[in-house]
Amino acid sequence: MSPHIGNVSYLLSLLTTGLTSGALYAFVALAIVLVYKTTTHINLAQGEMAALGAFIVLALTRYGVNVWLALVISMALSFGLGAGIERGLIRPLERRGIFPVVLATLALFLVINAVMAIIWGTQPVPAPAPLPNGLDAKIDILAGPPPFFLTYRALGTYVILLAVLAGLWLLLERTKLGLGYRAVAANREAAQVLGIPVGRMQMLGWGIAAALGTVAAVLVAETVNTLDFNVMGSILIFGLAAATLGGFDSVPGAAVGGLVLGMIVTFVPGLFTVIEGDLGLIIALAVVLVVLLVRPQGFFGTKPLERV
Amino acid sequence: MTGTDPLLRVAGLHAAYRSVKVLHGLDLEVRRGEVVVLLGANGAGKTTTLRALCGMVDTQGSVLLDGVELVGRSTEWIVRQGIAHVPQGRGIFGVLTVEENMRAGAWGRRDAKGVDADIERWYGVFPRLAERRRQRAGGMSGGEQQMLAVARALMARPKLLLLDEPSLGLAQIVTRGLFRQLEEINRDEGMSMLIVEQNAELALSFAHRGYVIESGHIVLGGQAADIRADEGMRRAYLGY
Repeated sequence: MSPHIGNVSYLLSLLTTGLTSGALYAFVALAIVLVYKTTTHINLAQGEMAALGAFIVLALTRYGVNVWLALVISMALSFGLGAGIERGLIRPLERRGIFPVVLATLALFLVINAVMAIIWGTQPVPAPAPLPNGLDAKIDILAGPPPFFLTYRALGTYVILLAVLAGLWLLLERTKLGLGYRAVAANREAAQVLGIPVGRMQMLGWGIAAALGTVAAVLVAETVNTLDFNVMGSILIFGLAAATLGGFDSVPGAAVGGLVLGMIVTFVPGLFTVIEGDLGLIIALAVVLVVLLVRPQGFFGTKPLERV
Repeated sequence: MTGTDPLLRVAGLHAAYRSVKVLHGLDLEVRRGEVVVLLGANGAGKTTTLRALCGMVDTQGSVLLDGVELVGRSTEWIVRQGIAHVPQGRGIFGVLTVEENMRAGAWGRRDAKGVDADIERWYGVFPRLAERRRQRAGGMSGGEQQMLAVARALMARPKLLLLDEPSLGLAQIVTRGLFRQLEEINRDEGMSMLIVEQNAELALSFAHRGYVIESGHIVLGGQAADIRADEGMRRAYLGY
């Protein structure tokens, strides 16, 4: 047991830490789910595409571009890259079955990873920081000990997650494009016979996922202060676990799954000091397994996973 | 009443799933305002015929809709030319609401007001759908889902409606009600229909003409009443 277990300030600190990690997992889970919904594929290169997006932000800021503008430009480029990969690589392979697609996303993972190492090197570099990141960039709430405060970076992460969720809701639930996307997700063939352009909806999913991934990678890099070519390696695992927890085909499920996973990963080692940080991951995955035993479709999923 | 000019003229249609050939030079016709039923045993190629008309399988030959060649075109394009397809098993979007399903059916249309008006119009024909407009379509009964599938297809304002086994999985009384409604839509709206149906007796009682398909060929065609009346034909091809 942690000696601070009854300390409100300590527990609140764990809560904000858990929410911050959870928000980052949620971004990755959202990206995975947005691809999965219309294609039933899991893009194993989702994390590497995201890291590439973060490097593009970094490169643009080195040319003097404002970091927020750089983020928007990189998101647009990522959208194009994601949509292009779906159209040019994944769709032609899809006719041949599921394994060529899985292998293709694995190959993409390796290629993008290597390209980043070649261009930007293997040493960590200072991360682009769109959110205020100084030691003083915080609001003190409780004096402690230990003190409880909210960093602007954490607050910014929550706000961006809420804005992304609101934007996705508007797009998917309130536009004709979103109706087409959801129709393809619900029943691909039925959507096709109504004249809905299935391929374009799949490109849309890949594109939005890639753009969201870029946001995720920039925030992850800012959280750890540095950017390197493996920045998204472990986050992808957490994102997959979060997507599984939430139900693979559910957008709100991805967000909830990410936040719940963030809580577990933070609170379990935080409360039980015998459990080291690395064990936290194992426990988090164990919790995911237990949830899936009870509810194979996850929190919000509409159907059990079939093709993974 | 049915006219004599053909709305749909299919000539020498071949279709294949990858390397498996299913249709071997099929000919058929649907005239304007006509209901035509396609009969045949399981595996004869009925469903494939409908899918071929929509460009969902690889096809060769000729399919003219109002004189426009459809073979080799994408499903999206064919739907815009005026073919609507109610697939086997209905293909309802279960997690979408009834009304979202209807709007998805109007995907290719740009006239927002016309779409709204058509939704109300089909709610008038199928009042059960109006009651459930805000509910998830997956929660409805099989009969209601079939009504929704028909209404959704009609939202595209097609020239020709294709129906694949509309009676599948429905109770007899529900099927009869559905066919009565289809009959009204044909009569009141002049909607042309090509129907694949296992229940030959019922389908022939409602259709103007019928074709019997066997191993990917049309083996006979004629007035529905004549097919019904001919005992030899019934025994040989229709099994009742």
